[in-house]
Amino acid sequence: MAVKDKEKIVSREFPEYIRDPNPDVGLDESIKDLKPEQIEKTIMAVLGAQTARIRAVMETCIHCGLCSEACQWYLSSDKDPTFAPVAKMKMTAWEMLKRKGKVDAEFIKQAARIVFTECNICHRCSMYCPYGLDITFIIGLVRRICFVLGVVPQRMMDQDHSHATVLNQVWYTQNDWVDTMQWQEEEVGAEFKDLRIPIDKEGAEIIWYPLGGEPKTNTYHIERTAKIMMVAGVDWTVAGRDVWDTSNMPMFLRDFTTMNRVVRGLYDNAARLRVKKMALTE
Amino acid sequence: MLDFIRDPSIYNLVRGPFVWITFLVFIGMSIYKVRRLYLMAKNEKVVLPSINGVAARRSILHWVVPFGSRNWRMRWPITVTTFVFHIGLVFTPIFLLSHNILWYESWGISWWSLPEKTADIMTLLVIITCIVFFLRRIFAPEVRFVTSADDFLILGISFFPFLTGFLAYHDLLLPYKTMVILHMLFGEAMLIAIPFTRLAHMFYFFMTRAFMGSQAAGWGGKDW
Repeated sequence: MAVKDKEKIVSREFPEYIRDPNPDVGLDESIKDLKPEQIEKTIMAVLGAQTARIRAVMETCIHCGLCSEACQWYLSSDKDPTFAPVAKMKMTAWEMLKRKGKVDAEFIKQAARIVFTECNICHRCSMYCPYGLDITFIIGLVRRICFVLGVVPQRMMDQDHSHATVLNQVWYTQNDWVDTMQWQEEEVGAEFKDLRIPIDKEGAEIIWYPLGGEPKTNTYHIERTAKIMMVAGVDWTVAGRDVWDTSNMPMFLRDFTTMNRVVRGLYDNAARLRVKKMALTE
Repeated sequence: MLDFIRDPSIYNLVRGPFVWITFLVFIGMSIYKVRRLYLMAKNEKVVLPSINGVAARRSILHWVVPFGSRNWRMRWPITVTTFVFHIGLVFTPIFLLSHNILWYESWGISWWSLPEKTADIMTLLVIITCIVFFLRRIFAPEVRFVTSADDFLILGISFFPFLTGFLAYHDLLLPYKTMVILHMLFGEAMLIAIPFTRLAHMFYFFMTRAFMGSQAAGWGGKDW
């Protein structure tokens, strides 16, 4: 059923920006407590910084629109100009800087909508820009502003909270993780007598790190990985301690603290077990 | 400069002191801006260590050569327009015979100059491509959406020196001397505007390209 015109979202600042409604608690509810001075302070702290990567984009972009053909959002939306990468910068970062951070909560919601739900931060636009400007970096900074203000789509924020709490995206405690590994080993025992999933084996050649979803919902990935490793005769192990999940969701929110903890944890485990290589699922 | 002291006319003003001010501001500010971006990049820790000389050179080369990059090949009308425009914009003023004569008279230096006919056609092409850019700003939806008043200002800054130069050479519209004074004023405005506006892409181009070329090489790809 087609959505009626009056039910569409139309931007106040940019009348060309028209979208179907897409309610999300993370955006609709979280903007209610935002104070103007809080918004201003956050924007100026993140975007107002005099750093080369920000200033280079702001002082070079000639508004030529040549980045648009790079964007899958633009191409798959009948070349709607509001989906072009440069348009996304104009509607978020440029407007924030133009108004020196003095924007209201509604504007932050619109910016969050654009940077989280209409951009995949894939970096293709930078490869189509004649100057090679890092557009994705600017979009990432707007994501950071929204994250610091707590205006993030609910599912993404939940994954980030999970990472911040248990260092994986599926709310698994260390017990759950070790238990899943042992359960899978037992499960495959019926088929393969010698199959083992070595946990915390020091000096192994490879440490295997899954994505969070694998022990949670796709446990067959684990038994298959174990079978492959056994048949290939690889000396491998999985981490018995956190961190074991490589899906670094905090990176997509630009939650630098948690992002850092995840990557550091992966390397710490590899160093602790003195493995030679890290193998990741993708 | 001495001419202006002997005969303080408008012509001698734009021909003497203004030229000195223009060159000082243009060269001084350009050096300042490049140095500033470089120092900021140095402070950022991750920018300079990621620079890969080979990838940076290849990235710049592929983008300064017409049809050298994927985006240039995908959009050939824009590619032709932009290269004709930029070649005319940069090389016509430097190699124009009349400019060479001015330099020779003032400082005793001169170099190879373009045939008058060729220079005339190049000037005309710059004027035409400027109009194409202007129309594109109005009629291409993805460009119109991000266009603001300063984009037209920047376009005007690069358009009027060439228009007035062309009209002066052909002695059209206004008396020659008036047109030449306008031409010099617009030309001086353009040079001064370069470091202060987004026309600074004249030298930032090489810096941003070097960074993105290196980034792409770091990801195992290429950005052209």
